[in-house]
Amino acid sequence: MYKKNRARYFFLFPGVIWILVFTIFPLIFSLYLSFTNANMRNFTRATWNFVGFDNYASISSDLRIGDTVNATIFLSAGSLVSTLLLGTFMAWLFNHDIPGLRIFRSILTMPLFAAPIALGFMGLILFNETSGSINTIIRGLGGGGVRWMTDPWSARTAVLILDTWQWTPFVFVIILAAMQSIPEELYEAARLDTGSGWIMFRRITFPLIAPAMGTVALLRLVETFKILDIPLSMLGGGPGAATQTYSYYVYLTGLRSFDMGYASSLAYILVIVSIIISSIYFWRVRARFE
Amino acid sequence: MKRSTCLSLLALLLVLALGVSIVAAQDTFMGKTAEELFPGAADDQERASAMAALLAANLPDATSRFAGQTLTVSVQQAGARGGISGPYYFWREAFQAATGATLEIVEIPQAQYYSTTSADFLTSQNSYDVMNIGAWFLADYVVNGWVQPIDAFFEQEGFPTWERDAVFPSLANLMKWDGQWYGALNDGDAQMLYYRKDILTDPTWQEAFKAETGMDMPVPPTTWQELLAVTRFFNGKDWNADGDPDDGISLHLRTGGQGMFHFMSLSAPFAITPADGDDIGRITKFDNVYWFDPDDLTPLINQPGHVKALEFLKELAATGSTAQFGWELAEAWANFLNGNAIATFSWGDVGSLAEDPSRSVIQGKLGGARIPCSEVWYDREAGAFVEDAENPNCVGNTTGGSWYPIMSAFTDTPELAYYFMAMQASQPINFWNVYYGWTGVDPGATYDVFPPTGTASVEDYVSAGYNADDALEYITGYGDNFFSHPIYQTYLRIPGTETMWTILDTRLGQAMIDELPPQEALDLVAQEWDQVNNDLGRAEQLSVYQAGIGYTPGG
Repeated sequence: MYKKNRARYFFLFPGVIWILVFTIFPLIFSLYLSFTNANMRNFTRATWNFVGFDNYASISSDLRIGDTVNATIFLSAGSLVSTLLLGTFMAWLFNHDIPGLRIFRSILTMPLFAAPIALGFMGLILFNETSGSINTIIRGLGGGGVRWMTDPWSARTAVLILDTWQWTPFVFVIILAAMQSIPEELYEAARLDTGSGWIMFRRITFPLIAPAMGTVALLRLVETFKILDIPLSMLGGGPGAATQTYSYYVYLTGLRSFDMGYASSLAYILVIVSIIISSIYFWRVRARFE
Repeated sequence: MKRSTCLSLLALLLVLALGVSIVAAQDTFMGKTAEELFPGAADDQERASAMAALLAANLPDATSRFAGQTLTVSVQQAGARGGISGPYYFWREAFQAATGATLEIVEIPQAQYYSTTSADFLTSQNSYDVMNIGAWFLADYVVNGWVQPIDAFFEQEGFPTWERDAVFPSLANLMKWDGQWYGALNDGDAQMLYYRKDILTDPTWQEAFKAETGMDMPVPPTTWQELLAVTRFFNGKDWNADGDPDDGISLHLRTGGQGMFHFMSLSAPFAITPADGDDIGRITKFDNVYWFDPDDLTPLINQPGHVKALEFLKELAATGSTAQFGWELAEAWANFLNGNAIATFSWGDVGSLAEDPSRSVIQGKLGGARIPCSEVWYDREAGAFVEDAENPNCVGNTTGGSWYPIMSAFTDTPELAYYFMAMQASQPINFWNVYYGWTGVDPGATYDVFPPTGTASVEDYVSAGYNADDALEYITGYGDNFFSHPIYQTYLRIPGTETMWTILDTRLGQAMIDELPPQEALDLVAQEWDQVNNDLGRAEQLSVYQAGIGYTPGG
C-alpha cells in the first residue's frame, strides 16, 4: 500500500513541477513585476524598484489605452456574436441525417488547426487592395473594391472576418454535439402541436443548447481578448492604430519596449476582467441550476 | 652539362614552379574552387567576380586558430539571396574555408529582430556571437553591456583588413559609441530621390508640364515643392502608356512598414536650421537639432516645422495610390520598379534593384539625385517660418538602419567573431556586395562612390550588370547625399529609440489616414516620448542624447 502511494506521487510530480514552473511561477512573478519599475535598463542588473500601484494608476492616463480598448471591444463583440450565430446556424444545418456528415464535420473543423499568425499572412494576400482575390471578386460583381488595409474600419472588419472564419468551427462542433444530445422524442411530441421549425428551435433546441452556448461564449470571449496574431502579421496593428488590440499593446509594451513592470500591470488588468466575466457567468449558471 | 647551365635550368624551373603555383592559387582559395565556395552564385560571371574579390581580400589563413569552432550570427530574415541576409550566406563557404570554423546563420524577421535579440540578452541566453543590427539599437545594447568594442582587434595580426578611414564619416559615427568602434562596415543607409528620367526629360511631357503648371520641368526636382509639382502633374495620367492611370509618388506608409523613415528624411529640411557663422553644422540649442531640445530633452517633434512637414507628406502621398498606406518597402519599391510611379525616395536598394531585369522594367530610365531641400522651413529661434525658393534649406540624412554586425559581450569566440566582421567589411568583399545590388548592401565607403569624393568607376558597376547612365545617376546621387549637403540630420541614438520610433510610426499612420490631424498626432508623439524618457531616467537620457549628437551645454 505504502509503495503504491509513493508511485502515485512519483507520477504526479512531473505535472506538479510543470504547473509550478510554467504557470504558477510566471503568474506570481508577473504580479510582483507589476508593482515594480522593471524595464530594459534595470532588468538584467535586477535593480528595479518597488513602485506600489503606480503602474496601475498610469493606465488611466495612458494615451494609447483608449484606442486599444475600442479595437478590442469591436473585435471581441463582433467575433463573439458572429461566431456564435454562424456556428449555431451551421450546427442546425448539419443536425440532420446527411450522407457523409462525418467527413463534412472534419473538413469544417480544419480552420481551427491553422496558426493565427499564418492566417494573418494569408489575409495579407486575400485582402490586398489592388490584387487580392476578395477585392477582385467585389470588382467582378460591380463593386468598387474595399480599402481593407488602409481604412480603419475596413481593416478591423477584415481581421474580424478572418477570426470568425477560424473560430466558427469551434462553436459549430460544440453546438452540434449539444444538438445531437437532444432526445428526438421531444421534437416528435412538439410536431403534434406545430410544424414550425423556428418555434421548435426557439422552444426546444435553444433552451437545451443554451448551457453549451454559454460555455462556448465564455471561452470565445476570453479568447477574443487575446487577439494579437492576426492584426500583427496582417496589418502591423494598422492602419494607424486601428487594429492595435489590448493584447497587442501589452506585447508592444512588454516585448518591444521591454517595460516589463507596466506591461505586467496591463496584463493583470486583462486577467482581472476575464476573472470577473467568468465569475459572473459561473455565478449565473450556479444560480440557475441550484 | 656545365654547372652554370644546371643553375640556369634550376632557376628556370623554380620560376616556372612559382608561376604555376600562383596560377593554381588564383583558381582556388584554401584548396577550394569557385564552384565550391559560391554555390549560391546566380551565374558564372557572378561567381568569377566573387572569386576575384575573395582573392583580392587576401584573407589570412586562420584554420589553425579557429578549426572546429562555431560562430552564430543573427541577421534579418530575407533568405539566402535576400537583402542583408543574402551576403552572409553567399560568403559562408569562404569564411569556413578561411577559418575552419562553422558559421551558423540565424534569420529573425525584421519586425521582431530587436525584441528577439534583446529578449535573448535579458534572459541571459546569449545565443548569438554576432548580431546584424540597425544603428538605432546600439544605445540600448551598449548601455546594457550586451556588446563589446572591437578596437582592440584593429592592430592585431591574423585578421582581414578593412579601411575604417574610407567609411563615410556620418556612417562611421553610427558604428561608434563614446569614441569606440562597435560595428564593422556593412550597409550604408541614406534616403535619396529616384525619378523617371526618361519621362521627365521627354520634350512632350515637358511642354505639357509647362502648359499646366507654368513652370519648367525640374530635372531633377531639387526641392520637395518641385517634387510635389511633378508628382501632382503626373499622378492619374497614363504616362507609361499601359492604358491605366499611373502614380506620381510611391511610398511605404503601412504601420510597421518603416514609413516613419520617409517622414524623417522629408521633414529634416522643414525643421532643421543651420548654425550662424562659419561652422554651420555646429549643434546649438536651436540649430542642427531635430529630436529633442538638447538642454532639457523637450521633444521637438511637434514643433511647427515638423507639423508642416507632415502636412506636406500627406499632400505628397495624395499624388500616389491610396493602397500605399498599406504598403511595406517591397511593395512601394515594386510599384516604382514596375514603371507605375514617376518618383520615390528611398535607400540605395532601389538604385541597384532597378538594374535587375527580373524585378525592374526601368533599367536605363532611372534618374537619381540627393534628397530634396525645402523652400520653406521653421526657424525655432525666431519662432517663424522662412520662405526662400532661391536658397532652399538642404539637410542630408543617414536615415535607416545601416545594418552592421556587432559583437556580443558574451561570445566565447571573440576572435572568430571579429574575423567574420572584418571579412565582411574588407574592401573587395564589401564593394562586391555593394555593386551586386541583390545583397541589400548599400554604398557606405568612399571606394563605392565616384570621384572626387570616391574612387569607384562606372565600369565597376557596369561589370555587375548596371546600365552606365543608371549607375552614374544612382551612385552620384547617393554620394551627393552623404557629401554635398551643407548640414545633416542627427541620428537618434538613445535608450528607448526603438520604442520612440514605434510610437512615431503609429501616430504618423493615424495622421496619414486622417484619424488624427497632424498637429494632434505629433503632440501625442511628444507626450509619449516624454513618458519614455521619464521612465528610463530623464537625466541619464539627456546626457546620452547630448553626447550622441555632440552638444555641449552652454557651448
